[in-house]
Amino acid sequence: MLKIENLHVEVEGSPILKGIDLEIQAGEVHAIMGPNGSGKSTLAYVLAGREGYEVTKGRVTYKGQDLLEMSPEARAAEGVFLGFQYPVAIPGVSNVYFLKAALNALRKHRGEDPLDAIDFMKLSKEKAALVQLSDELTKRSVNEGFSGGEKKRNEIYQMAMLEPSLAVLDETDSGLDIDALKVIADGLNTLRSPERAMLVITHYQRLLDYIVPDVVHVLIDGQIVRTGDKDLAKRLEAEGYAEVRNAMQP
Amino acid sequence: MTQQPQTLLDSIPASFDTGPQWLRSVRKSAAEVLRERGLPDKKTEEWRFTSVRPLVATEFARADAEAPKLVSPAPKGVTVRSLRQVLEQEPARLEGRLALGESEHFAALNTALFTEGLWIHVAAGVVVEEPLQLIHEPPKTTEPGVSYPRVLVTVESGSEATLIETYPGENPGQLTNSVVEVELGRNAKLNHVRIHENPGLQVGRVEARQEADSSYRSVVLTLGGALLRFDVRALLQGQGAECRLDGAYLVDGNDHVDHHTVVEHQAPRCQSDQTYRGIASGRGTAVFDGVVFVHRGAQKTEAHQENRNLLLSDTATVHTKPHLEIDTDDVICSHGATVGSLDESQLFYLRTRGIPEELARAMLTYAFIEEVVDRVSHEPTRDRLREAVLARIPAGEAVRGAS
Ligand SMILES: Nc1ncnc2c1ncn2[C@@H]1O[C@H](COP(=O)(O)OP(=O)(O)OP(=O)(O)O)[C@@H](O)[C@H]1O
Ligand SMILES: [Mg+2]
Repeated sequence: MLKIENLHVEVEGSPILKGIDLEIQAGEVHAIMGPNGSGKSTLAYVLAGREGYEVTKGRVTYKGQDLLEMSPEARAAEGVFLGFQYPVAIPGVSNVYFLKAALNALRKHRGEDPLDAIDFMKLSKEKAALVQLSDELTKRSVNEGFSGGEKKRNEIYQMAMLEPSLAVLDETDSGLDIDALKVIADGLNTLRSPERAMLVITHYQRLLDYIVPDVVHVLIDGQIVRTGDKDLAKRLEAEGYAEVRNAMQP
Repeated sequence: MTQQPQTLLDSIPASFDTGPQWLRSVRKSAAEVLRERGLPDKKTEEWRFTSVRPLVATEFARADAEAPKLVSPAPKGVTVRSLRQVLEQEPARLEGRLALGESEHFAALNTALFTEGLWIHVAAGVVVEEPLQLIHEPPKTTEPGVSYPRVLVTVESGSEATLIETYPGENPGQLTNSVVEVELGRNAKLNHVRIHENPGLQVGRVEARQEADSSYRSVVLTLGGALLRFDVRALLQGQGAECRLDGAYLVDGNDHVDHHTVVEHQAPRCQSDQTYRGIASGRGTAVFDGVVFVHRGAQKTEAHQENRNLLLSDTATVHTKPHLEIDTDDVICSHGATVGSLDESQLFYLRTRGIPEELARAMLTYAFIEEVVDRVSHEPTRDRLREAVLARIPAGEAVRGAS
């Protein structure tokens, strides 16, 4: 579904990603772990199409198309979703209102009729329940006055509404208490399907206990230095990045 | 009333021979100020960014429309009378109330020259639920014409009312120079919505004089204009009075709009709060100048002021200057101004959800001033304004379609 080849990315002239190779098939869950500043969010943003990230080498193919050529909204229309590490607040734009516009834009792209207000609200209730997001929060301005945990639940609520084929989830577990983590993990597990791929960025093994990944990558200083199965995450947790980094040096 | 077209200054008569004595003397002093200082020019501090040169030399026909009319009959407890009639029949009742004799420039011109207007009087202890709606139709001539609408609103003690004033029109050659005076008795409340839809020339001033514990809430919406200058002054004269002055303005094309606010904290424990938002696109120019004076003796004043502007094109201009002049201790004051473009991270967030860029921009642009539109509590008016604002922002159509 997604194929990243030798991806080099610079931000304001400094190289951040230095040759990433990664391939994800439909139905798979991949985890990316790595220390602060290693380039995890940069990768997520590049996949979603944020401006200011210059791809100097390499390419990204998604469902057979050149992903990097597409606008952010075109990627969304094709099923790419980014769960933000730091979701922005948008005062004056209500959550459900913008989601309805978003969902209907996606449906239009897929050649489906727009949802009317009643069907939309029904769907919204169902998906909000999945991550225990209150009615009040679905109606409030996007992320305005949301707690850290509420923002993350809102991301997953939006994902559930939009039903992407590829979800890139940037530290969806950070800032969550144990109960909230479980809620989100349960929500994500419900959304797991043979047609859907997930790229889960995290610092903690904890999340991966709930959402068991098929593949784990370790990203250090803009490069994937190790790829393994779920046990790699356990090893990282026990030994730390330094060990893994050293282990790779000759 | 028709006369030969004259320049604004030439239209001031040499002497005032009709009307009650007190009015003659108010008009006389207004005329003297005008003769002495003329109309504002570049050197006039309050008019630094707004040139009225096109108005100075133009010969305007005097083209007063009829007295403005309320859209529906006055409800119980509210008396609406023609100013001309009251001045003829019971002039003493208005003495000291049509007060702007000492003011400068355009307000002085109105004071010297107005011939007709309205006195809206809300009796003590009356709560008027339905808003009073006033539409100031401009004269229908195609010649450059000038009109001087004048309104006095008196809300007696303990009363409550809402006034919605609309200045419509399509003819850009007409000049409207309006003055609205508001008197609020003890504990009186007025919600005052003012909508500028006229694309032409407008100069206006509102002055609210507030007794103890009164509340004046003003929402001003300016939907463009070739040349518009609008001043709101709130005089907090009695203890515990409060005012809330909000506004939103949009400029596009070659629009030039200039909003000034003045809040005078003259008594202790008064509160003022101001939120003005502007959107500037095309080659439009928007000016905001707000000043809060906290006079000696006005202890425990609380005053806040904020002006934020969204600049949507490189060729649009915004000048903003909120400021405070504080002459006492024991006050809580804040002020701030920003001029910026749309937030890239908000835009990106919306787009990652599949919202097309154009719609995302329109959504964020509308959201920027929606807060001010939402302060209009009368629903039909709020809906109308929402439509009018959406019609004036790029791709605003799409926002309506998406909701
Ligand atoms: N806009 C920017 N301008 C300059 N440097 C940037 C910018 N964005 C990211 N960087 C730099 O790129 C590097 C990678 O940042 P990135 O946010 O991708 O890290 P991360 O792996 O997500 O870290 P964390 O675990 O803390 O979220 C950092 O050194 C960061 O300072
Ligand atoms: Mg990050």
